[in-house]
Amino acid sequence: MNRLNISHKIEVAFWLLLVGFFFYHSFEFDREIEIYKYGATLWPRTILLLIALAAIGQLLDQRKNGDRSSSNTMAAAHEDSAQDSEIGGLPWYLNTFVLLAIPFFYMNLSALLSLPVVQPFLPEGFNAALPVDDPGSGPVKITCAVVLFVAYLIISWRNHVGAILALPIFFAALLDDFGFYALAPVFIIGVMILMGERRITRMAMIMPLIFGLLLAFFVSLLYVGLPTGNVKPFYTFGNWIVTVLQ
Amino acid sequence: METFNNFLGGTAALFGDPVGIFIFLGGVIGGMLFGAIPGVSMLTLAAILLPFTAHLSPEHGIMLFSVIYCTGVYGGAITAILFNIPGAPENAPTAFDGYPMTLQGKAGKAVGAAVMCSAIGGTVSCVIMMFATAAIADWAISAFGPPEIFALVFFGLAVAASVGAKTFWKGWLSIMAGLMIAVVGLDPVGGIERYNFDMPYLAAGIHFIPTILGFFAVSEIFVQAEKKATGAYKAPKLSVDFPTFKELWAHKIAVVRSIIIGFFCGILPGIGATLAAFMGYNEAARWSKDRLKFGTGQIEGVISSETANNSATGAAMIPLLALGLPGGALTAMMVGVFQMHDMEPGPLVFLNSPDLVWVVFAAMFFANLSILLVGFLEAKTIVNLLRIPFQYLAPMILLLATVGAYAVRGLTIDIVVMFVAGVAGFFLRRSGYSVAGIILGLILGKIGEQTFAQAMQMLHFEFSGFLSRPIALGLLIAGAITIFGSIYGAFFKKQPVPTAAQDDSAQSL
Amino acid sequence: MNFKKYLKSTAVIIGAATLSAGTAWAECATDSLPGEMAKPDGFPARALTMVVPYGPAGGSGQVAQAMAQAVTDLTGVSINRDHKPGGSGTVGMTAYMATPADGYSVMEHIDDAASAHALDSGRPNPAEDLIPLVTSQITFSQVYIRENEDRFSDWPTFVEWVKAQDGKATIANVSKEGSMERVTMKFITDATGMKIQQISFDKGAPRYGALAGGQVDALFEQPGDVRKFLDAGKFKPILTILKEAPEAFADVPSLTDVGLDFEPLFRFRGFYVKAGTPDDRVEWLKWAFQKAYCEEGYQAYNESKFMTLIESFRDTDGSKELITSTIAQYRDVYKEMGLEVK
Repeated sequence: MNRLNISHKIEVAFWLLLVGFFFYHSFEFDREIEIYKYGATLWPRTILLLIALAAIGQLLDQRKNGDRSSSNTMAAAHEDSAQDSEIGGLPWYLNTFVLLAIPFFYMNLSALLSLPVVQPFLPEGFNAALPVDDPGSGPVKITCAVVLFVAYLIISWRNHVGAILALPIFFAALLDDFGFYALAPVFIIGVMILMGERRITRMAMIMPLIFGLLLAFFVSLLYVGLPTGNVKPFYTFGNWIVTVLQ
Repeated sequence: METFNNFLGGTAALFGDPVGIFIFLGGVIGGMLFGAIPGVSMLTLAAILLPFTAHLSPEHGIMLFSVIYCTGVYGGAITAILFNIPGAPENAPTAFDGYPMTLQGKAGKAVGAAVMCSAIGGTVSCVIMMFATAAIADWAISAFGPPEIFALVFFGLAVAASVGAKTFWKGWLSIMAGLMIAVVGLDPVGGIERYNFDMPYLAAGIHFIPTILGFFAVSEIFVQAEKKATGAYKAPKLSVDFPTFKELWAHKIAVVRSIIIGFFCGILPGIGATLAAFMGYNEAARWSKDRLKFGTGQIEGVISSETANNSATGAAMIPLLALGLPGGALTAMMVGVFQMHDMEPGPLVFLNSPDLVWVVFAAMFFANLSILLVGFLEAKTIVNLLRIPFQYLAPMILLLATVGAYAVRGLTIDIVVMFVAGVAGFFLRRSGYSVAGIILGLILGKIGEQTFAQAMQMLHFEFSGFLSRPIALGLLIAGAITIFGSIYGAFFKKQPVPTAAQDDSAQSL
Repeated sequence: MNFKKYLKSTAVIIGAATLSAGTAWAECATDSLPGEMAKPDGFPARALTMVVPYGPAGGSGQVAQAMAQAVTDLTGVSINRDHKPGGSGTVGMTAYMATPADGYSVMEHIDDAASAHALDSGRPNPAEDLIPLVTSQITFSQVYIRENEDRFSDWPTFVEWVKAQDGKATIANVSKEGSMERVTMKFITDATGMKIQQISFDKGAPRYGALAGGQVDALFEQPGDVRKFLDAGKFKPILTILKEAPEAFADVPSLTDVGLDFEPLFRFRGFYVKAGTPDDRVEWLKWAFQKAYCEEGYQAYNESKFMTLIESFRDTDGSKELITSTIAQYRDVYKEMGLEVK
């Protein structure tokens, strides 16, 4: 009896593709270690084999029993896990995927700027590796961050859930260069807006409150070192705040 | 009698010194607070405090960390129950039933059960610890080598795979996914980089703390945000209606069982409280008449998990103090505290600084008792966090999580990993896979691979070598029986039709 | 046994140190440096950050703490330690190279940085891409067995026993291929012709636990890391991996004593600033760190870690020399081992 539906097939395809991807990349470190003949690959490849077996086993089970297959102790807790929601549909997934990719564009900025397509737009002698001590790097990073942020705003315009999923990753991707101290206020406002707050006075009051409490507790009291950023003037600003608070 | 006298001596030393009292109270409150604030955990506090312990005396430093450990494991239950955000991996099973109880307006009962059971489990294990540490130390150091620890990890994974996910297959796939994440970074024999895809920071591997924060704290924010966006958001119901003694007494067997399980899991280096909580929960579910209702808001689920994880705290001190072997992240930081004072935990500590050992034992005993006193008060105030409008709570939690993820290793990649895990968790929650299983796989994967490699090196690459190690063999067989039992169940047993979960509270984790 | 003897000699060293403490460590390496130095253009105007590519508890974390304290005691400038562990020190290095070269960030690193560059020249060369401020710890390795071991008692009987086991004997070592520890073990096994299975442990505590608990037959380590076990009479050294035995371990045979002929490799820890930092700032940092090496607190720390048995101090030029020769040495070894040298 065949009770498979499309989502069962997507599920098994996902696992098998994952196994294939990781198996392919396992050849990059496939060599013997002088004191361990199994090398660095035996363990991950065994796990990949077991994943493949479990994915196929699950498929066979679902084929026979459909969604009621082999319930666990915790099955009850998952009864409504497939609840309805606004998310779904191919356009939504595509839009969200692009949104989630934006931070990774920033994280791989040097690689992107080295692409031949981009070369004509760059000034003569431009160092695409963006070394931190090159005074030309900072403005480029700031420009790219702004461009990507505008792109984020445009793409997420009608995708509320996608916007909230991508914003924190974008925030994290920018931390190394722009620092916690400069980005956190913007991030707090962003999250509040995405959570439905629209009253500007409220946000203007709450944001400094949250930020201030956080800094007072972690930076002034506990001396936690948060990222100060590497790009001027954000670097200067971050260090100034730290010096003031400590 | 000697033990008792030592204990009195430790107590006198602890409370006869104003600085000591101050640090003790600071640890009790700090551990509970950091455990109970969503987004940070006792590990965040410990990572932040570690450099400061250089300025304390060794007694005070170790005492502070052991107190944070006891109260933090309890504190993590509060966020697990109220927000579905376990403060530490050992609190994950608490959320299985605790959070549904909150949604049903029974938060007070769940928190009350956590308070009582944490205190009971912790105190009892503390007493056993005082009597047993020295004796167990001698035995374990020679009886438990890499082959035994590997066998134990195998057994632990076999048990954990049957908890938390919707089906047997999804349970295993969750664990395996966690094991695969643990592979990223350096291999444990040659330090060879694996799956770092030209990203230098990935050589550090994927740490379980940002992953936990992402899967639990961040993805919970996303779920709530989605509900906000679709208008389905309901503010959780507040209640401070604690359980009666009679309600708890009905589950006395679960408590005793979890104390025993917790203690024996906690004693084992490297696995400790997390496995304890999972096994405690799983055994409670296995033996319960209402086993199919587990995960929908059964108070017994909270009881069994919280008793077990606090019972593991005392036990985890045994390998630490007796052998210098940490059982988890927090005890590993305690090794750091020792070393900051140029001391090495191990048999020597008993010999050279018995005063220190007994101050720590006394402090842990009273920290567990204080959960009863302060815990109820704290629970009543923390519950009020639920009153903060979600649009303000969300940025706070996200930023706290950012600090929490960063403080552990000082790497921004950990913040990225956390938020990516948050997105992954958001989608996984709808799929029937077990997020907690992935975490356990991630934590045990590193230990598992390393001890497997060591065992193979020691046994000269012959699997038959396990035959000569009875403890390891026994654990491997037990693990295999667990696996084959669930495979048999999956394929050949007639499926019972779940009757529970008419309740709209059921949540996947 | 020899244990008591070295305890005694250590006591002598400590005693001597205590005596000389009153006269400000009369024989320290940087006593000729001036006791004060003007801040160049007000640098440093705020706290320094010290990136430590290892956790706070290990050898690097502790030396960073001791040195930071000594520099602060000397100059009044506070230092925030920023631990970025992972990837055998490569992650902290990557993060450090991404900070501006303004002198406010300094870094602690160990010989692993040199061996990483030897294996892959794409990694920063600590003698060129960084400026060594001071090398403050240099130490050697030893082979340890349990004090109560009855199957063998010293190096010759150990080698004989290992050979009789035909590859089944075990020694605990680190988990990084091509590291100082693993390369040295290869030198030893090649030179003696014994076959011994190395068991890889990435953390210290389980590695020592394995020897104490009888899971392995021997242990490869540096004396400062296992001092507690030595003092407690749990472990004893049977081979010092130096050409000549230091006084404190006079009874333990050196390489020459047992007829092993290879150049010993050292574990060294030092402090660096990024190349490209303004010269006047570099000069001030060099002065601060080298002078701090002779601060009483730092010397006492080195003493407690067996870091005074051989000369631990190198200034900038000495460190560059040490690093450059180390890189050359590793590169030869790696080629010989058949590792892919990039």
